[in-house]
Amino acid sequence: MSILKIQTEFLNVRVWDLPTRAFHWSLVLSVTAALLTGFISPEWWMPVHVWAGYLIVMLIVFRLIWGFFGSEYSRISSFVYSVRDTLKHLRGLLILRPGHYMGHNPLGALMIFVLFTTLVVISATGLVVLGGEENLGPLAGIIHYDFGFLTKTWHLYFSLFLMALVVFHVAGVIFESWAGQENLVKPMINGNKQIAINSPLPEPRKSRPVQAAAVFALIILPVAGTLAFLHKLPPTGIINMVENKTYLSECGDCHEPYHPSLLPTASWQAIMSGLENHFGEDASLDKGTNTDISRFLNKYASEAWETEAAARLRHTSVTNPLRITRSPYWLKKHGEIADEIFKSKYIQSRSNCQACHMDAAQGDFHDANIRINKGPSK
Amino acid sequence: MIIKRFIILPAFIFLLVSIAGGANAASPRQAILDEFSAQARQADQNFKNFSAKRGQELFLSKHSGGKKATPGCTTCHTKSPLNVGKTRAGKAIDPMAVSRTPTRYTDAKKVAKWFRRNCKSVLGRECTAKEKGDYITFMISQ
Repeated sequence: MSILKIQTEFLNVRVWDLPTRAFHWSLVLSVTAALLTGFISPEWWMPVHVWAGYLIVMLIVFRLIWGFFGSEYSRISSFVYSVRDTLKHLRGLLILRPGHYMGHNPLGALMIFVLFTTLVVISATGLVVLGGEENLGPLAGIIHYDFGFLTKTWHLYFSLFLMALVVFHVAGVIFESWAGQENLVKPMINGNKQIAINSPLPEPRKSRPVQAAAVFALIILPVAGTLAFLHKLPPTGIINMVENKTYLSECGDCHEPYHPSLLPTASWQAIMSGLENHFGEDASLDKGTNTDISRFLNKYASEAWETEAAARLRHTSVTNPLRITRSPYWLKKHGEIADEIFKSKYIQSRSNCQACHMDAAQGDFHDANIRINKGPSK
Repeated sequence: MIIKRFIILPAFIFLLVSIAGGANAASPRQAILDEFSAQARQADQNFKNFSAKRGQELFLSKHSGGKKATPGCTTCHTKSPLNVGKTRAGKAIDPMAVSRTPTRYTDAKKVAKWFRRNCKSVLGRECTAKEKGDYITFMISQ
């Protein structure tokens, strides 16, 4: 029996159509990007993280639609298995003789459903965190800081669960490929599986891309419109602050005039009543000026805001409640930054928030607006 | 009675100087200098004029009465009034010389505030009217 003869007995069957393969690898890339920007990269990659999330949602919406309009093995109905079938497949796998399936096998199908649900939960909680904690995105005008903050924990837990699922998925593919003597990765690249020429196959259903595109548009457009509308709502927890010129000039002469939301009332009061010895400097003001500035700071102190900066920095250092740079949150967020960077030419000091937080003056402190200041760009 | 005279006399002199000054009195910087000049004369009857040279000395010398971190004006303002200085918190200070920063010494409230704070930090005491006048005269000459 020659090798040639064996080859002629097999037939190439297109199992994964192009949209399904494109979907799979796009999801791999966007989930990788989301995980990397969520766990490893510096804060200012946050917009990439958010867009990876939007992309994941769009990919899943597409895949669900394609699950109705795609070609045979892309259809959800082709990989819904009973519990019995699933257990049978599992048993086969455990004795290293797994059954062969043209499309998704029962465990693979189960993984798809769990993965999708997890991704939807992560995306939804991510949007809530973005709106609540960061005051950004379509939910900024609806979700309050505290709720966003609480949701962040779940966003994290489900992301950890997702990583476990990814490990299981990859391990499962490797194990089944080995146990079943069948490369499962290759079909996801070239789309084809080989099958003995006389094997029974279902009558394959053809894809209906036009209908799929129409349904995709019908779902995506109204959702995008709604999100764009919600985007325009004013963020919760940000009040309309009337600037105080005296504050800007008197305090701004020596240092950046810190946004009043960065310290609680008690700290501002202590600062304003101790200007004769202001962190070692004489910063005394005449009574009228002092009263004017004190009134401004009390009115717009951190208690009046529900931004991330205000909510976090409200918890001041116990031993040094006047220094923003001693608060636990500040220390946690800046702990990895080397002393030389703070002392570098364009930053000078830890108290120079504006050097790296380009929106410090407005009290926003968005992740996307951080740049480690290395001087004017050439 | 004596106290009253001490107030009325300088005020009277100031008034005279102001009127005699004419065009000068219209300049807020000159008005500030005139005020210091009146005060200096009150403290010392032999006082004649402010001196840029004495002002320069005051600016450049190291003093010991104030805070250790700020022994002189030059700590923050650098050795030349033409240079941009740096506050203790790291922010830039416009040059002190009038030629570089024309708005210097034209706001009496600001002048009072900064002499009050910085004399205490550098000298450990308030500056005399003579010192303030000398200082500004030096900065005008730069």
